[in-house]
Amino acid sequence: MTGELSRLVSVASLSLRGSLRGPRLIGLAAFALVPTLIVAAIASAHPAPRALSNAAEGLFASLTVPIVVMVIVLVLSVGQFRNEIDAETLVYLTDRSVSRVVIVLGKFLGALVASLALILPAALLPLAVASLAGGPAYAAKVPVVLATSALLAAAAYGGFFLLLGLVSRSALLIGLLYGFLWEELLPLLPGDVPRLTVNFYLRDLLARELTTGPLSGYPAPYSIPVGLAVIVFLTLLFLAMGSASLRYLETSPEREAA
Amino acid sequence: MTGIVDAEGVTKGYGEVLGLNGFSATFPPGITGLVGPNGAGKSTFFRLLAGQLRVDAGTLTLLGHPAWGQGEFRRRVGYCPENAALFDWMSGEDFVTTLLRVDGFPRAEARERAGRAIATVGLTEDRLRRLRTYSKGMRQRIKLAQCIAHEPDLILLDEPLNGVDPVGRATLSELLRKLKADGHHIIVSSHVLYEIERLTEQIVMISNGRVIAQGDIHRIRDLIDARPHVIEIDCPNPRDLARYIGAWDHIASIEFSGERRLRVLTRSPEALYSALPELVIARGVSVTALRSVDDNLDAVFRYLSEGAR
Repeated sequence: MTGELSRLVSVASLSLRGSLRGPRLIGLAAFALVPTLIVAAIASAHPAPRALSNAAEGLFASLTVPIVVMVIVLVLSVGQFRNEIDAETLVYLTDRSVSRVVIVLGKFLGALVASLALILPAALLPLAVASLAGGPAYAAKVPVVLATSALLAAAAYGGFFLLLGLVSRSALLIGLLYGFLWEELLPLLPGDVPRLTVNFYLRDLLARELTTGPLSGYPAPYSIPVGLAVIVFLTLLFLAMGSASLRYLETSPEREAA
Repeated sequence: MTGIVDAEGVTKGYGEVLGLNGFSATFPPGITGLVGPNGAGKSTFFRLLAGQLRVDAGTLTLLGHPAWGQGEFRRRVGYCPENAALFDWMSGEDFVTTLLRVDGFPRAEARERAGRAIATVGLTEDRLRRLRTYSKGMRQRIKLAQCIAHEPDLILLDEPLNGVDPVGRATLSELLRKLKADGHHIIVSSHVLYEIERLTEQIVMISNGRVIAQGDIHRIRDLIDARPHVIEIDCPNPRDLARYIGAWDHIASIEFSGERRLRVLTRSPEALYSALPELVIARGVSVTALRSVDDNLDAVFRYLSEGAR
């Protein structure tokens, strides 16, 4: 493994291990189970099989991505820099020979893997519960599309929240406002305004890939490569901004207090 | 300037508060003590050296490189911050090994170096315990271990003895002397002057963000010899002695301190030290003890701080 790659893995591993521990992990894991519990509750009422499978699938766009994924990624990504700046532990990384770009990428990857460990079950377990409870079998690509969408959402939101945690002391609050106002309200507005959200492109991808079922009804003006390219571009943009910020930002608590 | 660390007119502010104000100093090889009271700007200086902060004005270099910047030269620098927390969920060994891995060392070498550094600071038996269970002294020592594990040329220690018990202080002081003997250059800060006095004679004194004196402690002592200097003289008959020395022009004041003691304020302690034996011989007055109250580093610092205001 080359030097920089080895350092990247080390920073990512440190971030991952720091993320997946303690009461916070238990709380987030419990939160990730909410969609599954809802599907289980619906299944206990013995609905029509198609209604049950539609409910499980529909929850992905109405609850899992906009709330569960958003909150989990927010908590895990914002803290990567924010908590370490406040505790001054970031200096153990920044005073070393590792480049600041590698620090940002490593923290992003650590937070992404930690997020996926929680949000993939949140995305896929409801489908499993619906199937086990008598719903019709899903097409093989449905779980693949949902998992891919969850990954893309975690990457784009994670990049943005990582940047927020680096540059703002109110990152958590701003992140919540972004998640629940910007990402949820803008798609309800007419015209091109919804295109300013990540959510728009995620739903575009879902509608393109899943031509039947509750997720197929979203507007899908773009082809899959364009939707993918926009989300990947946004993720890289946030990471580039994060790297530039860490390169030029002072990371002492006194500086920030001033 | 050709020091290990060179600062020229370094100014650093936090909003309207100046942490450093035209700080200029050259830190030579070996151990140099950065001495000053709390709030003098010591930690700001270290944070600038560690790349946490950027100078507002002036230049600051360490090992010939600008302090604000990344690069391989950082491997030649070790930093032990004063207030930084630890990754409390890690063990001591994991902490040091992980940071070495971040610094690019292969896994096996990182483990070996971590073990050696942990042994150096005397934490081998506790290396597998979680950091959250460490005492304050142990936390300081594990911070020192991560600071020296990559065997840097320059070691920056911000108040390393703060909160450490007397035995721990002695151990750490001995360790610093050993590191110096091994060829490391060390800049160590403290607000407790005698701690630094025991480690090195090379000091930089800082107050209100400025250097008020630097160099050999004895040379700095010379700087203040022109200032009033308190000397206590024990004698059986202080009034007789006061009558004689009160006529000397370098005596600023005389105070009776108890029945058998004079407290003399002189502008030239050397003159007093040389004239007193002649007086004893010529006049037959008796002196049983003589001591300079201002003979420690605290007094030097107090004088210089007041002079800088």
